[in-house]
Amino acid sequence: MFPIIIQGLLLSGLYALIAMGFMLIFSIGRTLNLAYGAYLMIGGYVYFWISQQLGFPQIVGFFGAIAVGILMGLMKHQFIVRPLKGHHVAVEISTLILAVVLQAGIVLVFGDSSKILLPIVPGVVRVAGATVTYSILTATIISWLIITILYLFVRRTHTGRAMQAVSMDQKGAAISGVDADRINLITWGLSGALGAIGGAFFASYTQLSPAMWVTPLIISVAIVIVGGIGSIVGTLIVAHIIGFLEVIVVSVLAPELRGVSTMLLIIVVLIARPQGLFGRAEN
Amino acid sequence: MELRQRHLAFWAIFIVGLYLMPELVSKGTLRTMIFACYLAIFAVSWDLLSGRTGYISFGHPFLIGIGAYTTAILTKRFDVAVEISIPIAVLVTMIGGLVVLLPALRIKGSYFALVTLAFMELMYQLVQVIRPDLTGGTRGMSGIETLTRGAVNGYYLAVTLMVILTFAAWLLMRTRLGTALWAVGMNEESVRGSGLSSTKLKMFAFLASAFTAGIGGAFYVHYLGSIAPRALFDINFLFTILVAALIGGAGSIIGPVFGAFFLVFLLEWLRPWLPGAERYFIYGGIALLVYMYQPKGMVAILESLYSRFWRARS
Amino acid sequence: MKKTTLIGIGASLVLAAATATADIKVGFIGSLSSDTGLSTLRGAEIAVEELNAAGGVLGGQKITLVTADTGEDVTEGIKAYEYLAETEEVDFVISGSIDDVSLGWLPRMQEYRIPTLDTWTSYIGIIDMIVEDRDAMRPYFMNIASDEALATLYISFGADVLKAKMGFESVVVLAEDTAFGQAITGLVTEALAPVAGIEVKDIISYDINTVDFAPVFAKAQNSGADFIYQISSVNSQVMSSQYVKLQVPMAMTGVNVSALGLEYWDDTGGNGGGISTLSPLPSVGFALDPVSQAFVDTYQAKYTSRPKIPHFNGFNAYHGLKQAMAAAEEAGGFKDVDAWAAAMLKQDLILEKDGQLWLRYGFWDYDTVEPVTGRTYPHNAYFDLAPPYDFAQPSMVVVQWKEDGTVGVVYPFEFANTEFTLPSWVPEK
Repeated sequence: MFPIIIQGLLLSGLYALIAMGFMLIFSIGRTLNLAYGAYLMIGGYVYFWISQQLGFPQIVGFFGAIAVGILMGLMKHQFIVRPLKGHHVAVEISTLILAVVLQAGIVLVFGDSSKILLPIVPGVVRVAGATVTYSILTATIISWLIITILYLFVRRTHTGRAMQAVSMDQKGAAISGVDADRINLITWGLSGALGAIGGAFFASYTQLSPAMWVTPLIISVAIVIVGGIGSIVGTLIVAHIIGFLEVIVVSVLAPELRGVSTMLLIIVVLIARPQGLFGRAEN
Repeated sequence: MELRQRHLAFWAIFIVGLYLMPELVSKGTLRTMIFACYLAIFAVSWDLLSGRTGYISFGHPFLIGIGAYTTAILTKRFDVAVEISIPIAVLVTMIGGLVVLLPALRIKGSYFALVTLAFMELMYQLVQVIRPDLTGGTRGMSGIETLTRGAVNGYYLAVTLMVILTFAAWLLMRTRLGTALWAVGMNEESVRGSGLSSTKLKMFAFLASAFTAGIGGAFYVHYLGSIAPRALFDINFLFTILVAALIGGAGSIIGPVFGAFFLVFLLEWLRPWLPGAERYFIYGGIALLVYMYQPKGMVAILESLYSRFWRARS
Repeated sequence: MKKTTLIGIGASLVLAAATATADIKVGFIGSLSSDTGLSTLRGAEIAVEELNAAGGVLGGQKITLVTADTGEDVTEGIKAYEYLAETEEVDFVISGSIDDVSLGWLPRMQEYRIPTLDTWTSYIGIIDMIVEDRDAMRPYFMNIASDEALATLYISFGADVLKAKMGFESVVVLAEDTAFGQAITGLVTEALAPVAGIEVKDIISYDINTVDFAPVFAKAQNSGADFIYQISSVNSQVMSSQYVKLQVPMAMTGVNVSALGLEYWDDTGGNGGGISTLSPLPSVGFALDPVSQAFVDTYQAKYTSRPKIPHFNGFNAYHGLKQAMAAAEEAGGFKDVDAWAAAMLKQDLILEKDGQLWLRYGFWDYDTVEPVTGRTYPHNAYFDLAPPYDFAQPSMVVVQWKEDGTVGVVYPFEFANTEFTLPSWVPEK
């Protein structure tokens, strides 16, 4: 019982961080950034390159990944979202093509093989019957920290509230003087940063490989669909639902049904409650 | 339905050109064209549903895969004749797709895309888990009956299939149904307001799309001679279909055909120069640039060239 | 231009065209970005160079090698084979494809009937196809021991090392949910209990995209077995590195495809100690005979990027390509597939080390029954499943990576250069 709770909490924290960036773009920018998984991939590889191949301390690697993530987000906004004037379909397709291009690029630079990252913090600790690596403990704690900061940012600051406004009604927000374009820019940059750091954590937990962008993307999609637009708290809760579902299915049922269960959950929720568990009903 | 002379002329030239190909090009190129034809069929099937209505489907590999697996299992495991298994496969695709995707049509916009993506992922997982003795599990099946031998015969079959399906789809879209679907894409509320059932329209488009996908998938697997879940229920396959349709010109039916040929040939032509992973990088890069230059697709580019040509004349 | 000059140019062009079409063309099919593909490709390249330097083949013709990338994708594999057959018109195909991709282009091979040698794919189902339909599969040869042979010898490892030396009496199988995982699981569980006296307590099948293996390992521990038998060919490093990071207190061995190459240590950032796996020969840490060593020396002088040492399939490609050419010499070319296949079946290369048989590259014919498994393996590479391994090399060896980054062979004892040990964090039984 306890091991499941602990494993569920840890995994869900990671999933929540990963899904945050995707959710922001979906809520505020109203687009599916299918290249979101690519942020994770690039973030992971930059972290790997800086901290493992070049030998800098890990913290430098993290900040390097964040910096590249922000840069990527801003560039995407500038070169893809802006020129396509927010045609959602066009942006979605372009980001998908971009993800494939980036994957090919990674293969060119780093080769095809998967790499295991050194643990963020080495060692294990046994808690209530479950073995926990310090690595994932750190990742989960930092994830919660980041999510809390994000929440406060969105709720308390001026920019944050502007973001909320844009997410609810772009035209209305524009009328009340919010510069939607600037907000979008900030959102994309933020999403890139979150994706990159999520990627570094995800990679240090599983592995780094050119195809690694697909699974986190599906997880983010699942969380956003089930959770619905616009809510950080919603995303957090749903990440836990999905994380726990996975751990329970693996521990109690059959590990091979891990992927199937998540997909079934999405489908059931979408059919029963299309706006997601916590979303606003779209009109 | 208005059929101008120039349309029919275009189709005539197009069809004749295709049938003359085996005389003009090498076998290797014919093989590439066969893949292009099948991709064109898939792209057209996507276009029927998503091109005009704006309901972007990320689940077409799901439909194609159902058609492919049905006929593969029937012919290989149960020794059913191909003449029977293919129609059954098409039927199963349409029914299965209907049962599964129709509720999803209630969902709008980006959510629809996500649901269809989830279905594709689900099929990928299910095919491996449920009755792997029938489906071949992750390894898939090899040694599936092929309908033709050799590049030339395979080509004629593929081209005939593509021409029939594309022409039919094109005619279909030129009826009022086609116009209504454009309207759904632009403003579904007004369509409903004018008394039409947008649900019925979407369902019809969906059935046409599933039909095409089912036939395409069934013949495809009999051409390949093998089937694997990674080849069908895969984001890369999805990506190829989508990009083909969009680069060609969504909604136009012909556009996706162009797009399919463009993409397949681009990838093959790069092979002698860039043998490895660089190929995908360049290929993806070119696709992205073309798409960003004109998101309405090559059809739009061609049309603007054409009208500039006419203007220059007069 | 003067007439004579024109004639001269014309004549040399014709001559050039004649010699060009007289070249023997070999096509490589596999991934150009993976260690696996590159091993085969480079093995083939070296063989081609050596043959050309020695004067060419089939009456002094030079061999040219062309490539077709599959990207480890099934559909691309089919396109690649078609490209080699129809555009490049190769005479012979050497494949470094993985199992799935080989299954994809197999129908094409049957259609074009181009002699093909597979150096990595080990799926027994393909050998079954050869048994069932000799004629259709005539051009196909597989010079790595099929996975049935690999799994069978593993049972002996279970009996001789795990049971006899380590005292293990029960096992929990942790297999990936793929066709490969299921096949090996079947082979192992059928034989492990009766032959090695090891009881299979549980079979846990996991999804290849599993992110968190902690629950899976917890389940394994709850089974109460003495050790874990891992079966993993996809994303193997995720499971094994988490095993190391979580310091799971159970011994683990089995099949871990990522641990077959020397880059494993770098790739895992050092989180690979204690992992053991079965490996076809020659494996990492395997002592080489002089001929194979010479090949490795040539390889290392020529290539500076990874893989630093060719994987076993590189050796297969090197020897196999030479044998394919020798068979073609005897059959008068590649065109008569039946004659070529008959000649290929007769190819037999025995490599000795210190006066005893060390490696043998040859092919089983249609009728010889392998004594231990009691079945035939036509067109499959020779292997030996019981000591004293004087017929051929064992189908596999078990290698173990130590926590200091070294790797050695632990079984069979005749080839071992180190002992199977438990990782430092696993308690003694």
